[in-house]
Amino acid sequence: MAEQTFTLPDLGEGLVEATVLEWLAEPGERIERNQPLVELETTKSAVEIPSPHSGVIVRLHAEEGAVVQVGAALVTFETEQAAGIVGTVPREEERPSRRVRLRPPAE
Amino acid sequence: MYRILPADVPLRYTTAPGSARHPVPVLLLHGFGSSHESNWVRTGWGRALEGFPTVGLDLRGHGNSGKPHTDEAYTPSVFVTDIVLLLDALGIERVDIIGYSMGSRLAWELALARPDRVRRAVLGGFGPVNAFAGADLDRPGTDQSPFGQVHRAAAALPGNDPAALAACTRGQAAHPFTAVPAPAGTPLLFVAGERDGLADGMERLAQDTGAAGALRVARRDHRTTVSAQAFKKSAVEFLARAPAAFSAV
Repeated sequence: MAEQTFTLPDLGEGLVEATVLEWLAEPGERIERNQPLVELETTKSAVEIPSPHSGVIVRLHAEEGAVVQVGAALVTFETEQAAGIVGTVPREEERPSRRVRLRPPAE
Repeated sequence: MYRILPADVPLRYTTAPGSARHPVPVLLLHGFGSSHESNWVRTGWGRALEGFPTVGLDLRGHGNSGKPHTDEAYTPSVFVTDIVLLLDALGIERVDIIGYSMGSRLAWELALARPDRVRRAVLGGFGPVNAFAGADLDRPGTDQSPFGQVHRAAAALPGNDPAALAACTRGQAAHPFTAVPAPAGTPLLFVAGERDGLADGMERLAQDTGAAGALRVARRDHRTTVSAQAFKKSAVEFLARAPAAFSAV
């Protein structure tokens, strides 16, 4: 078992924050990967974020109506994936490193 | 994956296969100033409609479709022609529709003009009120009317063309919605947020048209109803009903 915290992903369109409209799962509940997790409202539209993991919801880090910044903690899961073996990195955590810019954006 | 339908005004569209349980494709029609992606994909409708074959397009003036600048290019009948052109190109005889806001207006128009092409329609965020009440049509988006605010937000979205949207507003406003005649023989379901003023009168319209229902989503407004689970569940349930459920209609 391992705890994994999911942070508010980059929603594109230059958005830096979003308001929690409604949680679609609650602490203690099991959720499958890609199942609807939360609805958010940005200044431009409403979006539904699917669960990035299969696991049990341990903690929701923002109440409904709260404003969350991109990169801030949104929800913590307990997943079955063994992350305790020294020297291994949970697969999900590899993703951000691929998004590091090697050169500044053209604009 | 998106494709382009070549035409005078090219249309970007996408399709997804479904299962044998759902033989009728679902056509998704987005709202004013939005796009297929923003209205239906980012809001989780792809997951909600899993198993249903779907067709979605960026309406002219929107998303990555062509964006003419004349008002006449945006009358309801021109949109209907675009949609029929796309269905013909895809070899689709008949669809169910889920529309939102302007997309619901167009679903209504399509069901009126081509009842043979529409089986059932879910009309989201839509009512018989004049959506353009109090709106400055010479300079859309410069006033405080409900539509003025919608227009302003839409025109500020990246990729949107304010001149095309202004023409679209005038083209639509020049042909106000009328509740009569109503599409006959097309079962309708109305869904809107409890705080959606643009859907005022929806319940009455639902009653007058013998609709299957008129659902108000608690604590949601015109923008936030799009992603609501209650909207998705009611639409999916309505479209999945056995044909016998509508035999009285």
